[in-house]
Amino acid sequence: MAALRSSASVLLGAAASRPALRAAAAAPAAVRGMAQLADGAQHSTTASGEQPKLKTFQVYRWNPDTPTEKPRMQSYTLDLNKTGPMVLDALIRIKNELDPTLTFRRSCREGICGSCAMNINGTNTLACLCRIPTESSADIKIYPLPHTYVVKDLVPDLTHFYKQYKSIKPYLQRDTPSPDGKEYRQSKADRKKLDGLYECILCACCSTSCPSYWWNSEEYLGPAILLQSYRWLADSRDEKTAERRDALNNSMSLYRCHTILNCTRTCPKGLNPGLAIAQIKKEMAF
Amino acid sequence: MMASIARSSLLRQVALVPKLPIATRLASQQSAIVNAARVATFHTTARRDLLPPLPQRVEGTVNDAAPVPETSPSHGSYHWTFDRLVAASLIPLTVAPFAAGSLNPTLDALLCATILIHSHTGFQNIIIDYVPKYRTPRARKLFVWGLNAATVVVGLALYEFETTDVGVTETIKRIWTA
Repeated sequence: MAALRSSASVLLGAAASRPALRAAAAAPAAVRGMAQLADGAQHSTTASGEQPKLKTFQVYRWNPDTPTEKPRMQSYTLDLNKTGPMVLDALIRIKNELDPTLTFRRSCREGICGSCAMNINGTNTLACLCRIPTESSADIKIYPLPHTYVVKDLVPDLTHFYKQYKSIKPYLQRDTPSPDGKEYRQSKADRKKLDGLYECILCACCSTSCPSYWWNSEEYLGPAILLQSYRWLADSRDEKTAERRDALNNSMSLYRCHTILNCTRTCPKGLNPGLAIAQIKKEMAF
Repeated sequence: MMASIARSSLLRQVALVPKLPIATRLASQQSAIVNAARVATFHTTARRDLLPPLPQRVEGTVNDAAPVPETSPSHGSYHWTFDRLVAASLIPLTVAPFAAGSLNPTLDALLCATILIHSHTGFQNIIIDYVPKYRTPRARKLFVWGLNAATVVVGLALYEFETTDVGVTETIKRIWTA
């Protein structure tokens, strides 16, 4: 979380120094979309003689309406001076201005909903949390999450992922009522055990980066679901811990994890699914 | 996909050449064959239906939970813990004969047995990973029993080697100093 906060402050600093945004802020009357600039801002950048910073985005395209056509990479070139700092800003701008047929999921644009998970330059991440790298002029390659069925363009089919999530019963299971009939209380230490677990937004970045999940997604639950599993195993208020463990106690559900740790490396929220899986294994060992 | 399209098109292209005067037709037919053959040789993958993808369908409805497998600690937690214990015990067993400087046949036999079990469970993990039961049930059976047979053969061989020959540690020692 600390890492996230610091990157967010870097971002804010960069955004404030961005001439285009400053111009937009100076003219509050100008209405502008998420990724476009008001005309006034455009004039100010050109007037100051700034060079256009062109960046090419290669985006995976596949259309279910023409299923026999092979998937292809389509290039879009944007001027970064007129684009927000994140890859999602660029994608929205491409959809708004260049190609309305480009399809991708997005919602909150601040790393809370997990909709815009995709593979950017070889790393699964949220497009809204991924800055457009400005230090190099290399193209940015954007693919859907790897090893998923593609619905269209950058939209993967996560049906099985959600079905697996449902199979771990991700809700509090408890038979005894609380002593005073009010909410189920928890000590501060017990609550602390859930930190680093409850923040997971189920974007599927970790699961789809896991080679073990690529090969055995039918039966292996994958890092995201196992992190959620541990979130309920670690909850002091839950009373079905033994049943939850039994559900994982077979060769496929949990033990296909081979500590590859792609999950921890890729998590856009800075969580550690690898550690959570290790904790489950440790708790279940004898 | 590409390769298969190219391959099947060799004949199709020839058949599709429009009805033209005979000389032109021959020429265009020839160029079609040459072009298609060029593409076909570029793609070296033959068109075979090796393990075609399963039908992409949702089991039950989208709102049903994925099935939870039966509890079986001997394939789950016990298996995993046993794996770790065997792997961990290999370290002292490997170091002991060289550190002690003396050869103990019991220790040697123990080392052999542990390595055998360690490699058996290791290969078992590889088979479970790469020959999934839901996808290739017969190949899975074949591989599992092949591994069991191999382990038995290697076990017998190690037993012979330990009882009638010098043993594993001594062999490594001799090769090392050879």
